[in-house]
Amino acid sequence: MGEPVRPADRPSGARAVRALLTDPVLPVAALGAAVIAAVLHAPVLTWAITGGLAGYSLSGSV
Amino acid sequence: MFTCGLLAGGVLTAGVLWLLSGLFTPLPAGVRQGLIVAVALLAVLRDAGTLSLRLPQNARQIPQDVLRRHLVRGAMQFGFELGTGVRTYVSASAPYAMAVAVLLSGGSYAPALAAGLGFGAGRALTPALRRLSGNGERWDDLLAGRLRGVTLVCSVLIAAAACGVR
Repeated sequence: MGEPVRPADRPSGARAVRALLTDPVLPVAALGAAVIAAVLHAPVLTWAITGGLAGYSLSGSV
Repeated sequence: MFTCGLLAGGVLTAGVLWLLSGLFTPLPAGVRQGLIVAVALLAVLRDAGTLSLRLPQNARQIPQDVLRRHLVRGAMQFGFELGTGVRTYVSASAPYAMAVAVLLSGGSYAPALAAGLGFGAGRALTPALRRLSGNGERWDDLLAGRLRGVTLVCSVLIAAAACGVR
């Protein structure tokens, strides 16, 4: 008798929410939306957010 | 402590660049803005793989024994060195675009301070998100699969901001 096929390893429920909120792409999306708003209304904030984008772009390098 | 080091390092580098920015104030504001935008666009092309350009970096890693000698001080030092961007691999073009922007921005120290703090905070986001994910290895795999896109989008957003900010 063969072993039962395991369902794909996908998080569900609270784990799925956690996985979504910690997805590596999320900071880029959030910073991207923030920088658009900042360019229109707050130049100094734009510098902070673009600095954040530059820092985050170095993810994975030490 | 690691994050404090990152922020302090980012502020130091931004501060040095801001001090040097005084050398470029004789250039008209329009010329400086044009150069900032041009460099940001070159960064996009480089990260898209369209432009092959070797950029200067001190391609050395901070030795691990920095953390072994004294954990708290070591974490601060590790973060500080990463935050300065001086002794690290610079695997994206966005930091160079930001450095040029600070160098040519002119004006008060506030934008440079904001950029330095933002840079340090941006670098801190990676280990923070990884830790919050609860599964570091899975998060590493996700990042590896998306890193090229993340790097490119960061450059594009910075270039867009460079076009928009006066």
